[in-house]
Amino acid sequence: MTLSLKGIRLSAGEFQLAVDAEFGGGVTGLYGVSGSGKSSVLEIIAGLRRPSAGSVELDGAVLTDAACGVHLPPERRGVGLVPQDGALFPHMSVEDNVRFAEGRTVGAGGLFERGRVCELLGIGGLMGRRPAGLSGGERQRVALARALVSGPRLLLLDEPLAALDPARKEAVLPYLRRIRDELRVPMLYVSHVPGEIAALCNEVAVMADGRLQRQGPVEEVFRQLRANYAEP
Amino acid sequence: MNWPQRILIVWVAAILATGASAADLNVFAAASLSEALAQVGADYGRATGDHVRFNFGGSGALALQIKLGAPADVIVSADELRVDQLEKAGLIIPGTRRAILANQLVVIVPAAENSPVVSPADLEGAGIRRIAIGQPDLVPAGAYAREYLERLGLWEGVRRRLVPLDNVRAVMEAVGSGDVEAGFVYRTDALFSGRVRVAISVPLADGPRITYPVAVIRSTREPGAAKSFAAFLSGAEAQAVFAKFGFLQPN
Amino acid sequence: MGDVLQVTLFTLGAAVLSTLSILPPGIALGWLLARRQWPGKSVVETVIALPLVIPPVATGLILLRLFGRRGPLGSLFERYLGVEIVFTWKAVVLATAVMSLPLLVRTARVAFEEVPVRLENVARTLGAGPWRAFFAVSLPLARRGLLAGAVLAFARALGEFGATAMVAGMIPGETITLSLGIYRDIQLGQDSAAYTLLGISVVLAFAAVTIGERLSRRRPA
Repeated sequence: MTLSLKGIRLSAGEFQLAVDAEFGGGVTGLYGVSGSGKSSVLEIIAGLRRPSAGSVELDGAVLTDAACGVHLPPERRGVGLVPQDGALFPHMSVEDNVRFAEGRTVGAGGLFERGRVCELLGIGGLMGRRPAGLSGGERQRVALARALVSGPRLLLLDEPLAALDPARKEAVLPYLRRIRDELRVPMLYVSHVPGEIAALCNEVAVMADGRLQRQGPVEEVFRQLRANYAEP
Repeated sequence: MNWPQRILIVWVAAILATGASAADLNVFAAASLSEALAQVGADYGRATGDHVRFNFGGSGALALQIKLGAPADVIVSADELRVDQLEKAGLIIPGTRRAILANQLVVIVPAAENSPVVSPADLEGAGIRRIAIGQPDLVPAGAYAREYLERLGLWEGVRRRLVPLDNVRAVMEAVGSGDVEAGFVYRTDALFSGRVRVAISVPLADGPRITYPVAVIRSTREPGAAKSFAAFLSGAEAQAVFAKFGFLQPN
Repeated sequence: MGDVLQVTLFTLGAAVLSTLSILPPGIALGWLLARRQWPGKSVVETVIALPLVIPPVATGLILLRLFGRRGPLGSLFERYLGVEIVFTWKAVVLATAVMSLPLLVRTARVAFEEVPVRLENVARTLGAGPWRAFFAVSLPLARRGLLAGAVLAFARALGEFGATAMVAGMIPGETITLSLGIYRDIQLGQDSAAYTLLGISVVLAFAAVTIGERLSRRRPA
């Protein structure tokens, strides 16, 4: 998988986004404090926001090109999104939530069959329940399953563990690893917690003030960051 | 005391005197008289120093308000019926009631069309699909229209074409826009719009007696000023103003 | 008594028809105002709010000018559809629709504003186009507010009178509604007749509110 963001520009009030980046397969972390522009980048990749300039290409296909006025709508991009609290549809059962994307598979077909996904994420027993009756961890797993059933070429995760306490976080991490290893879905993992990124990602990009500061293997990048903050 | 001081005292006293004797009059009057009465009221105010305040409305609503105790000194109604009701309820000072104006019922048609209406019988014609009138129960002009049509024996024939409306303005609008083929209003109303033309002027002898009575309300706090204002309305100066607006003299 | 029945059924029918006819545009406008920005949006908001702000009689006058036989819209109806609007029952439906639309739009807008945009966004990424996202996510989640708006609009339609009198007249058997009847009876001092009609209006309004409650409670949101 190759995702390239070229010359992406966006202004919202005082906030200016300026990003040029390329992401390969596997799990790439997007690290930065809140307000650094991470969520905006995800929204642009998913097609929920249009940049004022720049282009987004996924595996060579143009998703957005501001200069030519090209903008593929979100439902046709094959890009899944798991927002911070899962964003499950409260008026539907878990089963209906997971089946929402059924019928539209822009991805690898058989690999993302619903039964398999549900088993992978251990949510088989939750099917008849309502989102309101689920714990935080269960909600995230259902949200992941829902996104995976649509067979995405790329999965965007916006601080998926942020709302969970440490115990739950630990409980959900293995499932994320399963998605990475068994389904091999490329993921872009946004977080402000270095530990999570280190636990899951092979590469990480650092954002601050709307710009991409650095990108590279996790160990190296974090070492550099620590060095920046070390006492002189 | 020297002369300038004397003059000053007399001057101040005169002002105070006129101020003290100036009355505040509440005159409840039919809305159709708004413009004319506003002018007459101003003339009266200048002449006497009294301050006339008007409450314009539908005659039915005004009578109701007075019955419910509204602080009116004088009523000028668009029909005798409402004042009859007030008289019967003992709310009028006897002897203060008199008719000051008359009006004429007319049939109007859209100015932009060649209307076939020339005489009342034409209202039954095939081309006349709708005739606008004020709702007879509510609008005096509508009640007079009904009375006239009944007198001519045309009421049963045209009643299915009638579009009763809330007020005379609505009748004017309906005719002016061509949505109805004819309408009944007063002569004074018809003068207001260039989009309508008077097709039939109901002769005063044949038509209903449309007179505007004035009366002084029994509960007035200014009986003197109220009676004086009522008399002023019959005077030559006021009548000249009314004539300008198309009103006729009662007789 | 037959008169009262006719007036009641007519008023009910007109109010139902009027409310049903403003549901699609009212909901659509509510959603647009909640979700989208565009130049001139405040003009649209103002125009929609006008019937609430100006005297009903003035709204009636504007409708008369627009939908009269020679009016810009009325002439189109007459020429292409052979349909006459003013001074018929259609004008009653039109006037009540125009007067109750602002209430529906406001309530719908608030209802949609309470649906997190996040949910609609996620639905889009899951392959739902804008229409599916609306019908599968936004609409069901806004259901209670929209129902409340519909009930409000219906109640307003029942009580509407000033604009209706102007553009539909008070033609017995054709355009007289409960509220017109009440107005007339009060003016004529026929209080007991007025109270009868008033009582009927209250019963209808109560029924509408109860049905609205039932419908909005049927499935937990």
